[in-house]
Amino acid sequence: MKEKDVRVDYRKHQVVLYAEKRDGSYGPVRTGSYITKNYLDDYWLKRNNLEREYLEKVRGGEISPIAYYMVLEELTPSELASRVKLSTRKVKRHMTPEHFGEATVEQLRRYCEVFNVPIAGMFQAVVTRKKGVRVEELKTDNPYFSIYTIATEKK
Amino acid sequence: MTFKHTMAAHCESGTVAALLKHEGMDISEPLVFGMSAGIFFGYFESRKFPFPTFVVRNRPGQIRTGMASRIGVKFREQKFRDPGAGERALDDLLAREIPVACQTDFFYMNYLPGHVRVHINVHFIIAVEKKDGVYLVSDCYSPDIAPLDRDSMMKARFAGGSFAPRGFMFYPVSVPERIDYRTAIWKGIRSAAFNMVRLPMPFLGVRGIRLFAKKVVDWPRLARDTEHLSHEIMKINILLEDQGTGGAGFRFMYATFLREAAERLKDPDLHDMSKRIMEIGDRWREISLFAARIGKRRDLGQDRLRELSSLIYERADAEESFFRDLLAMSKKKI
Repeated sequence: MKEKDVRVDYRKHQVVLYAEKRDGSYGPVRTGSYITKNYLDDYWLKRNNLEREYLEKVRGGEISPIAYYMVLEELTPSELASRVKLSTRKVKRHMTPEHFGEATVEQLRRYCEVFNVPIAGMFQAVVTRKKGVRVEELKTDNPYFSIYTIATEKK
Repeated sequence: MTFKHTMAAHCESGTVAALLKHEGMDISEPLVFGMSAGIFFGYFESRKFPFPTFVVRNRPGQIRTGMASRIGVKFREQKFRDPGAGERALDDLLAREIPVACQTDFFYMNYLPGHVRVHINVHFIIAVEKKDGVYLVSDCYSPDIAPLDRDSMMKARFAGGSFAPRGFMFYPVSVPERIDYRTAIWKGIRSAAFNMVRLPMPFLGVRGIRLFAKKVVDWPRLARDTEHLSHEIMKINILLEDQGTGGAGFRFMYATFLREAAERLKDPDLHDMSKRIMEIGDRWREISLFAARIGKRRDLGQDRLRELSSLIYERADAEESFFRDLLAMSKKKI
């Protein structure tokens, strides 16, 4: 591939590709990510749709929050089990709303560490109906406690 | 500590090359990748993966071990049961101004864009300093040296799951004064070519590419819905281009390795082979662009997937011929 064909002007996500230079030599070229530049909007569209769809399933009592985050993070029950140091069978039970309550707080903390969400995220989702309102979950040094900040963006 | 940070295409080859350069060796990332037989293909369907996937490089860790066995560089390697001991050992080395490569879970590299960070336990970074409880790390995917808080570093080094790092870290303790590049290069080539065409498993090497071509038309059955299928098809582009491969699933980097090897060994045969694999890589890139396009358009009917499949079959044929020739050539040269 010629250097000019791999060059993408996108500073936010840089990658190194190898290509044929003008003088015919082969070497590294630092450039923007083609897929991020051209397809990131599509990624977020699909991700948001997935979040909405699975949040509805949690609300409808079809799945537990653990199953919700597991799908979002593209993990399998067996991989998740290995990460939270529980059996796959137990993780599969925790994925159902009926048995979610059997998980201990300490086990939920381990799940949250894998999903990188505060422990409160296992019990609630905060959504805003108003435009320009930003809700942020802030983790604290206490693994069992987080703070929500609600701010309106300045006009 | 004066550590020269440079971006690289791939985390493991880039990390090993950077550490060896820090020790004064004149070595490039493609040379590290090629001598350690990095190029590969494998198609996997497993309970550990939520969807079928493929790899385009050898097993994580083999770039380091390959370099150790081929050029005689010695690495000090450590794993830990106790995270506290792992932290103390790393901090102690950094206090002595020794840059240390750490195996981590990519998910916790919070200085990189959120959409690229996934749980994968085989990401390598170099810790170069610890300042006020924050590690300064040289990550091949970051344009600059980046800060990583202690909490994230600990989670990343001691994550569970497949290929759990268990705090694994390494750094070179001795590099050879003289290197027999000829033997190292040809052994690396022979090993890579053997892995591509001679392994009997149906999911590895050229056979793996054919299995991928065969199976991709069945992916709609495995997907939740069209958007999920689109996501997985577009991931073909990410796995080939964006996930630290240097483009075309490492084929461009391998072409650069063969070109560098041709110049070092003054071997015109390798020069010709570098051109061939560069052309093979060009067609792989067409596949990844095709996958991204049909994924975004949701143009994922059987006709399109069969078209994608036939493009992949063509690559299998081209790579079989290429690696068979390379294997035959390597047998004559060593």
